[in-house]
Amino acid sequence: MVRLSTNELCIGYGSRSIVKMLSVEIPDKKITTIIGANGCGKSTLLKAMTRIIPHQSGAVILDGKNILTENTKTLAKKMAILPQTPEAVSGLTVGELVSYGRHPYQRGFGRLTKKDYEVIDWALEVTGTAEFKCRPVDALSGGQRQRVWIAMALAQETELIFLDEPTTYLDLAHQLEVLELLQKLNVEQSRTIIMVLHDINQAARFADYIIALKDGQIVKAGNCEEVIHPEVLKQVFQIDAEIGRDPRTNKPMCITYNLLKGEANREKKMDSPRTYALAYH
Amino acid sequence: MIHPALRQRQRWVVCSLLALIAVTAVIGMGWGYSSLSYGRLLPTLLGHGTFKEEFVLYSIRLPRMLITLLAGMALALSGAILQRTTRNDLADPGIIGIHSGAGVGVAIFFLTMPLKPDSSVYLLPLAAFLGALSTACVIYVLAYKKNEGLQPIRFVLTGVGFSMALSGITVVLISSAEREKVDFIAKWLVGNVWGTDWVFIGTLLPWLVVLIPYAFYKASQLNILGLSEPAAIGVGLSIQTERISLMITAVALAASAVSATGGISFIGLMAPHIARALVGPRNQLSLPVALLMGGWLLLVSDTIGRNLVDPYGIPAGIMVAFIGAPYFLYLLLKK
Repeated sequence: MVRLSTNELCIGYGSRSIVKMLSVEIPDKKITTIIGANGCGKSTLLKAMTRIIPHQSGAVILDGKNILTENTKTLAKKMAILPQTPEAVSGLTVGELVSYGRHPYQRGFGRLTKKDYEVIDWALEVTGTAEFKCRPVDALSGGQRQRVWIAMALAQETELIFLDEPTTYLDLAHQLEVLELLQKLNVEQSRTIIMVLHDINQAARFADYIIALKDGQIVKAGNCEEVIHPEVLKQVFQIDAEIGRDPRTNKPMCITYNLLKGEANREKKMDSPRTYALAYH
Repeated sequence: MIHPALRQRQRWVVCSLLALIAVTAVIGMGWGYSSLSYGRLLPTLLGHGTFKEEFVLYSIRLPRMLITLLAGMALALSGAILQRTTRNDLADPGIIGIHSGAGVGVAIFFLTMPLKPDSSVYLLPLAAFLGALSTACVIYVLAYKKNEGLQPIRFVLTGVGFSMALSGITVVLISSAEREKVDFIAKWLVGNVWGTDWVFIGTLLPWLVVLIPYAFYKASQLNILGLSEPAAIGVGLSIQTERISLMITAVALAASAVSATGGISFIGLMAPHIARALVGPRNQLSLPVALLMGGWLLLVSDTIGRNLVDPYGIPAGIMVAFIGAPYFLYLLLKK
């Protein structure tokens, strides 16, 4: 029995349905990645699983209980969320922001206990942000800021950690840094990580379990060998992908790909940079 | 997780503000239309003054200063809460229509009640309070969208719209009123600190005694409300519950202040801003500073305002606006 699962979950805004009758079990103590094209409902699914948005029918079950009937503070001790592109927090220092992660454990006036301070220091240490503790969050670079937000999620001491595109807006090195940190947390502390990723090669490299979504439904869910497969990618992204092996990790990877839809479409895309270049001159 | 140096700094700021309030109060006690020399202050305070001196001090100046101080505190705290809950730095009880709501309440009350200085006047804060609360409720309902929850920008825009509409309604209401009542309501609207009686302190104080500790108690929830909605839900905050209870607190504070002083804007905008600039955004530190700052600003404004033009002075609300309007522009330009 896994801790987290969804049962015939339907999510939508108004009459528009985004995720349809989705049932999935999230493996415990593994890294699960949700992939799919823009607008396929991957972020929506993540948000519904973390009660950020309501769902229309079905259920998200955590430890045998529907999350909507659970106290939100109790849930915050079980699952932490790193939202997509966390906003600027004017004037807050790193230490202060990370201390917000202790909210589920606080009572009354919100005085931090000795235990709270220990956990905060530990979270800063693990994410390599201890040296910024007294600096304003806004003064940090994108990668550092992302690690600080992860530290805040870690301060919640939850077994499940959800991340919505944690690598967006980061350069290659910082992307890897964040993903390796998550992997370390998974391996060393057996945290269950559930994240939305755009890059299928990163998904293949870091995930134990991949859920490929299209139009709010699962096309394929399984390990990287099963999901990073030409047939699946064709359905999910409408691409004709060439799958090879990463020479270093021996995981499957998409080496190159073509669009499936007609030539005209691609021509147009090739044109546009030139148009911009001309306009720029 | 507050840096010790910042904590130290906050203590300094709080102490300086307390000192400023004390100094302003002493100056205010001796400065005014009726003479009460500074040399006679101490004896009068100790009960050795003449009848006239005691009357001026205890029945005119002290209650007025206390009212302005308390109202300033309430407005500042209200503004600080609103700015956090709506995540909008320009939120202020006056700007988002709570004042005009209270104004309509007062206008309706005055038009339906006979003008007598007896107990019915003490129901006035209640009328203002109900006016403000119903306005806030309507604004909340209109700004609320089922899927998105309460969007700060919608809230402020709806509030601004309401503020204007309600001011219009007030004008229509008072245009049919008796001359005497119109005078009173018009003065009320610009914030002339009319409730200068110990009874009004009695009606204002209970609100503050309950709501100030409550707001401080909610400081860490307010901190988290400053984050984005997903992040706030993620750390286990019941957003809607907290927002609603805090907004009721803010409305209650503003309404109780406004009912005694009239429509004073800008205090709720300025004081929290200055406080954050001094001690940072963490509400545990900035709320007390905002509170004292608001009290002091209004006290100074009223002390200067009532002595500038004899014999009635300039309403405190206008004095505050003299300082507040440029500050508001400065904030807009800085954004």
